[in-house]
Amino acid sequence: QQKKITGTVTSKADGTPLPAVTVTVKGSSLGTQTDGDGKFSISVPENATLSFSYIGFKAKEVSVGASQTINVSLDADERLLNEVVVTALGIQRDAKALGYSAPQLKGEELTKSREANVINSLAGKVAGVRVSSQSGTLGGSSKIIIRGESGLGGSSQPLFVIDGMPIDNGAQQISTVAGAVPQGSAGADFGNRVGDINPEDIETMTVLKGAAATALYGARAKSGAIVISTKKGVKGNASVTFNSSVRMDDILKMPEFQNEYAQGVQGTYNIASTNGWGPKISDVQDKTFPNFLAQDVHLKAYDNNIKDFFQTGKTYINSLAFSGGNETGDYRFSYANISQTGIIPNQKYSKNNITLNAGKTIGKDFNIRTILNYANSGGDGRPVQSSNNPNVIMPLIYGVPRTVDMELLRNNSINPETGQQITLTPARNGNNPFWVIDNNNFSNDLNRFYGNAILSYKILNWLTVANNLGLDYYNEFRQGNTRNGTIGALTGNFFTANIFNRSFNNDFIATADTKITNDLSLKVIGGANVFENYYQRNQSDAQTLTVDQLYNFSNAATVTTTNTSNKWRMVGLYGDIGLSYKDYLFLNVTGRNDWSSTLPAENRSYFYPSVSSSFVFTELMPSNKWLNYGKLRASWANVGSGTDPYQLAFVYGPQSTAFAQYGYGSQFPFNGLLAFSIPSVIPNFNLKPQNQITTEIGADLRFLNNRVKLDVTYYNSKTDDQIIALTLPQSTGFTSKKMNAGSVTNKGFEVALGLVPVKTNRFDWNFDLNFSQNKQTTQLPSEVTAYTLQSGWSGLIVKTRSNESFGIFGSAWERDPNGNIVIDPATGLRKTKLDQRLGSINPDWMLGINNSINFKSFNLSFLIDVRQGGVVYSNTASSLRTSGLAKETLANRGNIFIDKGVVLQGTEYVPNTVPVQSMQDFWGQFSTTNTEANIFDASYVKLREVKFSYKIPSSILGKSAKFMKELEIGVEGRNLWIISDHVPHVDPEVNFFGPGSAADGIEFNSAPSTRSFGFNLRVKI
Amino acid sequence: CEKFLDINKNPNAAENVDPKLLFSYASTSYINLRSSGDLYIPMALGGQSITTGGNNPTGWGIPSEEQYQFSTFSYGNTWRAYYTSVGANLKQAISLAESATPKNNNAAAQCKVLLALVVYEATTVYGDVPFTEAWNTGISYPKFDAQQTVLNGSIALIDEALAQFDDASALKISDYDMFFKGDLAKWKRLAKSVKLRTLMTMVDKDPTKATQIGQMVTEGGLVSSAADNFKVGYQAVTGKKNPKFAINEQYNGGRNFFFGSKYVVDFMRNLSDPRLPKFFTKPVEATDYFGIEPGADGDDKHDVRISNTLQAADAPEVIFTYQEELFYEAEIYTRGLGVGADLTKASTLYKKAVEESCKFNGVDGTTASTFANGLPNLSTVPAPMALINMHHWVDKMDRGLDAFTQWRRSGPEGQEIPNLSLPIGAPAGKLFRRYEYPTTNEISSNPNAPKELVKYNEKMWFDL
Repeated sequence: QQKKITGTVTSKADGTPLPAVTVTVKGSSLGTQTDGDGKFSISVPENATLSFSYIGFKAKEVSVGASQTINVSLDADERLLNEVVVTALGIQRDAKALGYSAPQLKGEELTKSREANVINSLAGKVAGVRVSSQSGTLGGSSKIIIRGESGLGGSSQPLFVIDGMPIDNGAQQISTVAGAVPQGSAGADFGNRVGDINPEDIETMTVLKGAAATALYGARAKSGAIVISTKKGVKGNASVTFNSSVRMDDILKMPEFQNEYAQGVQGTYNIASTNGWGPKISDVQDKTFPNFLAQDVHLKAYDNNIKDFFQTGKTYINSLAFSGGNETGDYRFSYANISQTGIIPNQKYSKNNITLNAGKTIGKDFNIRTILNYANSGGDGRPVQSSNNPNVIMPLIYGVPRTVDMELLRNNSINPETGQQITLTPARNGNNPFWVIDNNNFSNDLNRFYGNAILSYKILNWLTVANNLGLDYYNEFRQGNTRNGTIGALTGNFFTANIFNRSFNNDFIATADTKITNDLSLKVIGGANVFENYYQRNQSDAQTLTVDQLYNFSNAATVTTTNTSNKWRMVGLYGDIGLSYKDYLFLNVTGRNDWSSTLPAENRSYFYPSVSSSFVFTELMPSNKWLNYGKLRASWANVGSGTDPYQLAFVYGPQSTAFAQYGYGSQFPFNGLLAFSIPSVIPNFNLKPQNQITTEIGADLRFLNNRVKLDVTYYNSKTDDQIIALTLPQSTGFTSKKMNAGSVTNKGFEVALGLVPVKTNRFDWNFDLNFSQNKQTTQLPSEVTAYTLQSGWSGLIVKTRSNESFGIFGSAWERDPNGNIVIDPATGLRKTKLDQRLGSINPDWMLGINNSINFKSFNLSFLIDVRQGGVVYSNTASSLRTSGLAKETLANRGNIFIDKGVVLQGTEYVPNTVPVQSMQDFWGQFSTTNTEANIFDASYVKLREVKFSYKIPSSILGKSAKFMKELEIGVEGRNLWIISDHVPHVDPEVNFFGPGSAADGIEFNSAPSTRSFGFNLRVKI
Repeated sequence: CEKFLDINKNPNAAENVDPKLLFSYASTSYINLRSSGDLYIPMALGGQSITTGGNNPTGWGIPSEEQYQFSTFSYGNTWRAYYTSVGANLKQAISLAESATPKNNNAAAQCKVLLALVVYEATTVYGDVPFTEAWNTGISYPKFDAQQTVLNGSIALIDEALAQFDDASALKISDYDMFFKGDLAKWKRLAKSVKLRTLMTMVDKDPTKATQIGQMVTEGGLVSSAADNFKVGYQAVTGKKNPKFAINEQYNGGRNFFFGSKYVVDFMRNLSDPRLPKFFTKPVEATDYFGIEPGADGDDKHDVRISNTLQAADAPEVIFTYQEELFYEAEIYTRGLGVGADLTKASTLYKKAVEESCKFNGVDGTTASTFANGLPNLSTVPAPMALINMHHWVDKMDRGLDAFTQWRRSGPEGQEIPNLSLPIGAPAGKLFRRYEYPTTNEISSNPNAPKELVKYNEKMWFDL
């Protein structure tokens, strides 16, 4: 018995009728579609069940029963990316209209397991995005690279834009010790400025990966852009959201130590050595030896002494937000606080954020919105890394001999009678690590305000003008104290630095939106941009303090003050013409002209265009269950960029100090005289803009009722005419010269695959996988054999050559033509060859695997992050091995050991038969003088995030449900487990040089990374 | 709009400076290199004129430069100083002085003399080095010149300077001249003596230099009194102290890290040299001055350390002295280099040299003169040159590189004065002879640099 059913299908969100909804009778081949008004009519058997499905909405089933009219409203399916994406300049566009890949992450995705620095939350979540932390320092910095490093002249960090305002993401590395020591690149890690933002405020984060996506931002976004929209109040009842997380942190990877040998030299005990090359402890139980307290003791190994040094770090994250709105206005006010203590005692970090986002519509057409953010962040006890500073902490900790009881050391860092340090050894390297962490504090405190005001006015139905005026301003104060009595700085010193940065940005945008015909729409955007950045730093170094622990300039015998500042401006005009045909064929053409103050007047103006297109081909296909949605996209774009300020003229810099090794050079005025110096870089009066051309094609496909989603992209990006500082041999009198030369090409694939293997009412499992592979190639002018990106230590250099990617170079084992290591027959030790390529700093590919399982109100999600390929250099591994403290140095001690290799006899290589004189000599070869000895495969598999949460259903909340809209409790963890890696003793994921450098893959006395585990509570009322 | 963008002028640097401001930076960087951990310590330890004290807890520690573990930082920083902070600033100062209107000839000449010293040192440290194509913004990859070319180039720079000094002109570097405060007569005498030293370094390998040497001593006009000593004083003020002092102050509680070398101390003890208490601090328990073998453990109750008076906070860095000039002249008359051999004259000169050395080091005039005149006449000793060379080396004990170069030129391999052995703990093989080239600063970025590693124990051209 057939009966006729009629009805209307509408969207639940706004009640509008939905056309072309597929209506089928379950279990049969019967079916129809809704018409333009959302109406349908179908004949069905008795007791049939109707199934309604439509792209972008959740499918719904309805039993026919007795009724003849069935009106259905469909829920929007947020999992489908048929959504609005915030693109360049905050322009909201339909995802289907985009001709380039622009993945958008929701705020919840970024706060799944919370991170102080929001950049870290991106790790493993977006194909083509690589995140690396500089150190395990609290409030430390992280670097983000999209589709490979594209610049030879410096790091390729993306532009960060919040609500249309580009914000500063500096990671200033300044000298961290007074005196004339040119520091390694880092010293203490003071973080990067994007770490100041509050992740809880983020509504969406769009990753604009390629030039087509960022073309409207111009030069500043040549390495991509991260576009953040902050949360706004929503229409309806006011709500209050409270979130609280507590987490415990401990060291992610502990070195493996030997526990059999004491400190000394070639088997003989020596109190002056911080190593493990002394006697075998069990062999000398009949004797006593002086310890660091000058007590004669029997030697004993303290197996866990290094572990005992560390403590459990704690993190408290609390945030509170009030929001609400009505027909004409909305507001959201939030406060967030993070307080952390570190695994290294006395390390603290805290951050406070206050945000107000409020909007109001006046009349019908005038809209005003202001977003105001205040952030205060700062830390104490930031570990000093790198070298040339007595406070470099990790070698002091890891260098403590096996026979030293950490508790004894902790309780005896200061002589209560004299107030002097009790040193670990009497020698010049014997600082007690507790003395350093208890007394020599490196700290910072930062106050930042950023915000903007957006005015928009709808002049005509099709024409809107808007102005977005923003300011980003911060002042950071840094201080580093070294107490009198610290070995290496016995007379004490301190430095302070005041860093001031201000950027100002204004965009004026006019948008015209019109339908040319019923099927053809046109949108034209024209805009003008003015940007200015001003930076200033005043730094004072005070030497030789009189009153103990009084860090006042008047307490110092001498104070050297230096100051620097720079300012640059950019003016841009841009336009975007967008055409859409029948909502399935889209074309966008953009153009921008920039004028930059940093380039010579004749080269300062540069224009670059982009074209992008997308085609939703499934719109032309008959509806089918197999392929629900298919889009092809293609784009081509060109971007230019300028350089840093003041790179053009040959100028003489006033000098504050003249260098002398060990840090005690001369300050000017010296003998009453001042001094100036030529620059170290030869400037170039004729610099022109760099030029980047990117092409990208991709497809976005959804299958089987959207249970399978596949997004693939291929891109090719080439940056030419790079503005570089070409390293010169110093015999020229200079270290480098500025020039336009060289190119870097990055090509690669990105695949994002989403699966819903199980989906029922109570249980669903979402599986997302993102894969990326990038191949980087450099081309250099023929006369340039290699380009240095970053110099390190002892011949370790990150550089690149034509047809190669960026790589680590340094001294290597000499090898015969068959690859055997060549041994010196005089010593039995390996021979060394200088300046060899030791591997790429880039991964071959990366993979993020994200699982989210919902069962009733429970959610379990975890993220596995995989990196394959590339190399990493570890100085910590080197120190642990050369000092005989690492477990592997136990092998062959006391035995005759013949290293596997060959010796040259006449012209023949024959197997080596010469034993090494001692294992101390053998492992001595693993010092920094042989880079290859400390190079490892950088691949890893990590369990990055785990979250298990329970949303308490309203049925359980009972009466409370009336005022409590949401209550969720959860357990969360970050960096829980290195499932697999190839680097001994340290986390392979380290980037000592930080976000400011194009170099990567170097670990140099870095503060160790942590694993973190804790609880979370979320309440919404 | 144009005006809005015309802001690319650095407010923190000068577009024009007086050459004297570059000269003061070059001078300070130069003395700091010579007196600090990149050049002084490695050269003095490698050259065995001082010792570490082995495993003595407050000694420098081993293994160190004494065991030939030279830091690549020392290789690189020394190179960087010679070529950039010192050399390149002098080169630019010369160019500024010569392009000024009116031309500042004296400033250019002063800079050239200092540059000649830098070139001389750079080649004695590293061997073949870039010179003819160095410091030229038009040449990115300078070739390496043979040491002979470099040394001749250093001489040519001095000849240029001597021709350029202009007593009639008031233009010169005077207040910013830390050496001679613009006394041109002293500059000229120094220039000639430095040239003579360079010829003396070359003459064993290139005997044709003897003629020129003879001419120079006959003509005179060389450094002729202690007032001509070429040195710069440090200040007993934090941040301006002699690095030799500062390192002990900052790392060792003021105690000197270094011990006397037996090669120096034994020689002086046998002569009851009045400089002993000036050079060394004797432990109260010790009966006399005892040095130790390089690499051996220093005994705090027996062995002497380098004196903190010699390495005082305000001790000067000494680059050329009157006694040094006298030692060369004594050598010239002993060997008959371009002049007739005259042992009597040579005896007078070497005794005068020792006397000046004593006075320079704070021995009173009477004691100095008595001691010097009590030394044997050269005609009475079997090997007069060995005696001169030994005294010459002892005088330079605290001038790391200068003592090392004096030792290297004192005789063919194996016959140098003193006859050094391999330090305890040093790798088997030959003695230290030079710095290796720095990879980061030069080799890896210069396609014209030597490809093969030249080891620290390989001799260079002048070193027979």
